[in-house]
Amino acid sequence: MTTESTGKNGDLKSRVQDLIDTMINPAVAGHGGYVELIDVQENRVYLQMGGGCQGCGAADVTLKAGIERLLKEEIPEIAEVLDTTDHAAGSNPYYTPGKA
Amino acid sequence: MARLLLLLPTTTYRTEAFVHAAHKLGVDLVCASERPSTLEELAPGTLLTLDFADPEGAAARVAEWSRGHPLDAVVGVDDLTTTVAAAIAHRLGLRANPVAAVAAARNKYQMRQCLAAAGVPVPRFRRLALKDDPFTAARGVAFPCVLKPLALSASRGVVRANTVDQFIAAFHRIGAILHRDDVGVSGEAAEYLLAEQFVPGLEVALEGLLVGGTLHTLALFDKPDPLDGPFFEETIYVTPSRLPQAIQRRITKVTAAACAALGLREGPVHAELRVNDDGPWVIEVAARSIGGLCSRTLRFGTGMSLEELILRHALGWTIDSLDRERRPAGVMMIPIPRAGRLQAVHGQEPAAAVEGIEEVAITAHLGQELMPLPEGWQYLGFIFARAETPEAVEKALREAHAHLHFDIA
Repeated sequence: MTTESTGKNGDLKSRVQDLIDTMINPAVAGHGGYVELIDVQENRVYLQMGGGCQGCGAADVTLKAGIERLLKEEIPEIAEVLDTTDHAAGSNPYYTPGKA
Repeated sequence: MARLLLLLPTTTYRTEAFVHAAHKLGVDLVCASERPSTLEELAPGTLLTLDFADPEGAAARVAEWSRGHPLDAVVGVDDLTTTVAAAIAHRLGLRANPVAAVAAARNKYQMRQCLAAAGVPVPRFRRLALKDDPFTAARGVAFPCVLKPLALSASRGVVRANTVDQFIAAFHRIGAILHRDDVGVSGEAAEYLLAEQFVPGLEVALEGLLVGGTLHTLALFDKPDPLDGPFFEETIYVTPSRLPQAIQRRITKVTAAACAALGLREGPVHAELRVNDDGPWVIEVAARSIGGLCSRTLRFGTGMSLEELILRHALGWTIDSLDRERRPAGVMMIPIPRAGRLQAVHGQEPAAAVEGIEEVAITAHLGQELMPLPEGWQYLGFIFARAETPEAVEKALREAHAHLHFDIA
């Protein structure tokens, strides 16, 4: 994945980073989690989740109904937020799923 | 844009598949869980907390919330949420099963009563109070029998007893399971258990979709590993079934009769039946789709997932085809061999390299405390296969599983 950190895309990336730092990470820290911005390409935001979020049974909810919604509200030009996390490698997920 | 409410317990395996299906359909997704999301205060329009143990309370809360956010559909993704979803849908006038029908399907005693009254073949059964003397209770039961909780799923707490001593041990063991912190049952489900006739035979699982009261069979899975007890750990599912077509038709017919007897009319159905010389016997009919990650074995029409199909039905959208792809497919739920903490997993690469294996998904994380049946309720992971024949699917699953080794200490 190549990183474009200049011009319009760079500005978008810094705005996303700012929201992650000021809104998202303080909130997910409540479950021992954190989110890292990997890149922004063609209005798509690539994230990685760690700590309690990595491997968490509710990670997709956090991402799609939480993070993506917040980022799109604040930065309407964002098209999508994509998760690049290796959830199988999570060693301390906040919620662990079971069969029902 | 249509707005969809998904009821997603924090412990369900089903979240990823349903969230992805909703995303693919382009709906405005709202997620509710029984515990608050860390982002709920920041995103109150898409994240909700509901008490899944209180369907009417949850329905009232959603009715209030939906005044500002009208909903087009509500879907509960697993056993814990089916009754709540029905209550919410009823309150909002959305497509769903009657609440009483779903509640009956959630309670094994009520379900047996409904089915027996309608002439649907079910094992002989008795409800027993946990406060009663098990020795006395055992005198009214024929052996071998199976004891099970009224409301748990995934074979949790299901124990076969061949003798009075085994019956008493199972009785106490189930009572202890119902008192565990990670078992959230209350009322009748916490005070009683079910004792029923053990029905010998093959076991199958039918995955279906009810549309206006008509059952459409989406897939019939064989369970080639014998399920004779003392515990009933599910392992391999393979579809299509290798049973004769005439028997498969009888299985569908009996399942449809069971749905009708319960009053189920809309949405997914997961039924488990035993088949022997007397025909099919209904063991379970749940108003939900298949559990775990098992739905990854199923694709419909031009690549539609089971979850997409369920959401389309709930939204009242067209479904081009309910036909499963023709290629045989299967899944193995990797059982937990013993209690302990998962230290390491070996053999994933050779397991994934077995011909026909599509995926080896280890869902237990390193360091996770593991508990086998009947107390446990999780799996180490899932193995998925596709091949030219059901026999080849089963062989691939067994071969892949043989490569896997788990250090549990």
